[in-house]
Amino acid sequence: MKKTLRNIGVILMRALGSDLVDAETGRVIGRALLLPWRGRIVVLGLSPEQPVRPVFVTQERLTYWKQEIGFTAHPPPDFTSGRDSDDNPHPPAA
Amino acid sequence: MLRRWGSYTDLDTVLIVHGGREADFEQLPHPHKVLVSDSRFLTHDHQRDKQSYGPVLQSAAGWLAQRDFSHVLYAEYDQVPVAQDLLSLYRRRLEDEQADLLGMHLRRVDSTSYPHYLYHAHDPAFTRLWSELSVREDKDVVLSMLGAGSFWRRPCFDAVAGAEESVPVYTELFLPTLAHHLGFRVRGLPDQSPWNTHLGERVGELASAAANGAWTLHPVKTLWSASPGAGRRSLSTRVQDRLSRSAA
Repeated sequence: MKKTLRNIGVILMRALGSDLVDAETGRVIGRALLLPWRGRIVVLGLSPEQPVRPVFVTQERLTYWKQEIGFTAHPPPDFTSGRDSDDNPHPPAA
Repeated sequence: MLRRWGSYTDLDTVLIVHGGREADFEQLPHPHKVLVSDSRFLTHDHQRDKQSYGPVLQSAAGWLAQRDFSHVLYAEYDQVPVAQDLLSLYRRRLEDEQADLLGMHLRRVDSTSYPHYLYHAHDPAFTRLWSELSVREDKDVVLSMLGAGSFWRRPCFDAVAGAEESVPVYTELFLPTLAHHLGFRVRGLPDQSPWNTHLGERVGELASAAANGAWTLHPVKTLWSASPGAGRRSLSTRVQDRLSRSAA
């Protein structure tokens, strides 16, 4: 019962919320309801499948009175091998 | 379960790591089996209790020590093979990606809203753990992958299985992040991940998965259960599944 109510709450929060647009790519990366609360921003209803990072959005025009906090996502992990031992089947290119 | 896996691979290459009742373990008709009763593995609320697959990997590494396998496929009991040549497909992908570990739903989660990351990052020992053992320049990277369906090159598997888990870390974070910080190359399986999800009951999708290029399917918890109504899902589960699908 508790879980059902929680899930219904999540559906409502997403319905009342807005799409989160990646501040770097412009791609929609999630949907959530954002509320300011005691000096923080509370993110409600965001799917864990779409982890996002908060970032201040760059501005074309200099303003001292307004800045925007947006969101972005890490690209898919694609780190090269960091091993240089003999058991490394694919050592980094010299 | 053994019959199904036996039609995809030689059962002599399959190790069952059992975390259930000892009586059930004794009845398992398979020569290669290990019983794990470590409380770090047998958690109830897996994410909040920071469940570890360490005892499972250590058991498997002990079994592998006397054998010359070059790769390890890690499957959970509710994950089934559906592609006849799945081991060749995994191996080919590993070579194409020049990777040491392939994981479902692999993502980078440090400094993000990812709930498992935020829960762990609250403990300073979590961050310290990676900075102490990492060979990488950036020691802040944290990766996450689904516990089921990972494919390992043997040196990577042995290194991760042999590492000490000095700080409790949920297995979905621990395994890929440790492999990464030990210098191994970890890559995702974006085309296979939709067939292997955290939630739901996908036993009804076996045929469509096979026809649409899936290598494995997860979760299929009711596949081995003969109890009436096993496939029936609660309202809560159905709503949760709907939420997961809409997010995806």
